Amino acid sequence: MHDHNSPDESLRQSEMDKVVLIGNPNVGKSALFGLLTGKYVTVSNYPGTTVEVTYGNAVLNKKRTLIIDTPGVNSLVPMSEDERVTRDMLLTDKPRVIVQVADSKNLRRALLITIQLAEMEVPFLLDLNMDDEARSRGIVVNQEVLSGLLGIEVVKTVAIRKSGIDRLLKSLAKPRPSTVRVVYDKDIERGISAIIPLLPDAHISKRSLALMLLAGDESLKAWLHAHIPDPLIDEIDKIRQDVQARYNNSLGYLINQQRLKAADKIIAEVVTRFEAGKGSRIAQKVGTLSMHPLYGIPILLGVLFLVYQFVGVLGAGFAVDFLEETVFGTYLNPWISKLVDIILPIPLVKELLMGDYGLVTMAMTYAIAIVLPIVGFFFISFSFLEDSGYLPRLAVMVNRVFKIMGLNGKAVLPMILGFGCDTMATLTTRILETKKERILVTLLLALGIPCSAQLGVILGLVSGLSLTATSIWIGTVLAVMLVVGYLTAKIIPGEPSDFVLELPPIRVPQMTNIIIKTMARVEWYLKEAVPLFMLGTFILFVSNKIGALSYLQKVTDPLVVNMLGLPSKAAEAFVIGFLRRDYGAAGLFSLAKEGLMDPVQIVVSLVVITLFVPCIANFFMMVKERGMRMAIAMTAFIFPFAFGIGGILNWILRTFQIAL
Amino acid sequence: MEHKRLNAIEGKAGHPALCVLPEVEKEDELLEMMWTLREEGRLTRSHLLETCEITGCEATLSLLHKNGWITEENDSLVMQPKGEKRARELVRRHRLSLRMFFDLFSLDGAEAEACKFEHILSPEVTDSVCTLLGHPPNAPDGKPIPRGECCAMFKQEMKPLVAPLADLVPGETAKIVFITPGSHSRLDRLSAMGVVPGSSVKLHQKKPSYVIQLGETMIAVDKEITREIFVKKM
Repeated sequence: MHDHNSPDESLRQSEMDKVVLIGNPNVGKSALFGLLTGKYVTVSNYPGTTVEVTYGNAVLNKKRTLIIDTPGVNSLVPMSEDERVTRDMLLTDKPRVIVQVADSKNLRRALLITIQLAEMEVPFLLDLNMDDEARSRGIVVNQEVLSGLLGIEVVKTVAIRKSGIDRLLKSLAKPRPSTVRVVYDKDIERGISAIIPLLPDAHISKRSLALMLLAGDESLKAWLHAHIPDPLIDEIDKIRQDVQARYNNSLGYLINQQRLKAADKIIAEVVTRFEAGKGSRIAQKVGTLSMHPLYGIPILLGVLFLVYQFVGVLGAGFAVDFLEETVFGTYLNPWISKLVDIILPIPLVKELLMGDYGLVTMAMTYAIAIVLPIVGFFFISFSFLEDSGYLPRLAVMVNRVFKIMGLNGKAVLPMILGFGCDTMATLTTRILETKKERILVTLLLALGIPCSAQLGVILGLVSGLSLTATSIWIGTVLAVMLVVGYLTAKIIPGEPSDFVLELPPIRVPQMTNIIIKTMARVEWYLKEAVPLFMLGTFILFVSNKIGALSYLQKVTDPLVVNMLGLPSKAAEAFVIGFLRRDYGAAGLFSLAKEGLMDPVQIVVSLVVITLFVPCIANFFMMVKERGMRMAIAMTAFIFPFAFGIGGILNWILRTFQIAL
Repeated sequence: MEHKRLNAIEGKAGHPALCVLPEVEKEDELLEMMWTLREEGRLTRSHLLETCEITGCEATLSLLHKNGWITEENDSLVMQPKGEKRARELVRRHRLSLRMFFDLFSLDGAEAEACKFEHILSPEVTDSVCTLLGHPPNAPDGKPIPRGECCAMFKQEMKPLVAPLADLVPGETAKIVFITPGSHSRLDRLSAMGVVPGSSVKLHQKKPSYVIQLGETMIAVDKEITREIFVKKM
């Protein structure tokens, strides 16, 4: 959610040893990265957690080494943006060692990549990770025989338990190009030989490049254009077309098929199967039930209810009360107040710190007493869900609904990650295959998915409401997203892509990973949110001092008071909502707590703040991923739209006098 | 063509085509129609003439009667053994062609193509198509395909050998025989996850979404994709 990506050029280009971690999605590359570097990157149990290359330093075998974590790939012929990042890394960077991380129980798919690395003639070694899980499913891989067949070092590890790391470190000193070779159909081989003389020199073998080109790798074109003249590229295209013309199926598929045949031969010699253990069967049963057409829904509702109980009731109720009233109200605020009186007895300073818009009384109270406990509780439950493997199964449940919005179940992942942080979720849209889907999800995230901080505060507000009121809020937001998604999908050209999503196994989450992940996210929250809270409060303070605030309230009254039917003071919440939506929500939260809003007002303000413009960080991420024009267009749409929907809802609720 | 077809109907190899006699095609259509109406339990002369869109329907009908394919009595129509055989084989060829175009080639307008094919297929080719498709019991529209000799040779008469993965019962495991992809990129992506002919695949569930399992890998996919993966039960 806050993967520190520091593409530090000086670090990358230096002569330091470089170790690149490569492998299928969800095999534990990031877990291994964390172990080797001591630097935390998000580790979760679903494919596509890592969408960017991450760098970290380590001292391995007494040498300073740069460790590089990459997004998971199923093939080194990329199918989506995140996969491309990994392939480009191999193409343009010359690592000293490549560690292929494999999921021991899915050796077949791992070997598909092993064969491609062998074809590239790069030095590497194979790490059979998650050995424990394979064993519990009755799968044992003979690593000595495998090592002999591949001609490289093969080690077994369980990264999350730190087991086998010593052997891995030793093997890092002995990377070798693999001796495995696949001989393809005559026509394909002829195509390879014809393309090779046309290719420029690269870090990887020309045979592997020729195979990528034959497989139809369009993303390689840009690189080719930079290295060889256009006529040669046309010639390569012609060779490819000639070879393709000889087959009915795509060359990429045929090449994979022949690779898999080679992989199956290897597997026949190294994999032994036993009766699966009991534990893994229970987990599989849970996994099956969670996406059952009948039981899946009560399970989903149960999960939501538990999250609500944990975050909304325990976090937003109990923890907030304790921090806000006891810690801040009874101790900290009076205490600091006295301290300021003694040290800096200047009225203005005291007001800046302790006044209505004081940095302590408002910013710190909001950030630490209201948002932090809620966010903390949310992060814990979210991490738990992430690591359990439940989230991708949700995609199975909601695939059909998402089809209405021109998306498919795969888009569930970035959308749910949005409940953690919309900014990071916008980055995760890279796992989606078409531009259309990426635009749609970016818009829906910015429009209707409240991030953890905001959601937490909202849950706090909701906990004081009736079930009807809560349903109206959820129903309105969902309906708005469905309609906007449906219409946008009609406007944006392009076909929806296929729904193909790998489901990770259901696992019992590891407490240590949950704690580490939660701590890392809380740290990120404090670093990112608190300064903005301070800034927002300062802006309010200054505006108040120079009278701009009452002027603003006067200006926005027709909108806030007349159209939305909210108290005039709610305008403040919307102003600071520009900086962060959760800050705005916190403003509403305290208004409601002071009893200044009735249930209808709370529901209307909730709908508006939920649909409100994306926070500044998310806006910049939208600019980065979708471009300035798109980001501005989306924001310009969302802002009046959110108020419009709020106005309509207010009108309906008031006109029909719906009791909440 | 007439000779060839008539011979084909009799089950012999045909001579080269001479010319096309539309009358014979009309006869074919009428016999097919009678077969279908009989399946629906409403085969009467008046019904037939009602549904018939061919010009000169009555004339063709009396021709069929005259040549001993059928008998007419008041409002009732009865196919004679040789007429019964001819109709049965026509319907079989038509519905098998439908199945072929629909399953193998995912062709739109399979109906029109099937109408052409029912007149062309020789008995040998018909049996080959039937075997290739795994002796399917039904046409895509659910109507039964009359069984041929080739079908009788198989014990598991009602179970096609090769069927779309989508037709498996959840929990069944099968081996992938071939894949007819809707798009090339779809095939590339699936093959990188191990979905290629020769792989064993289990249909895990159909609702709310299709989930398949290959080895230890579970993949959620669109239903359309599972229609394109053809498997042989193990």
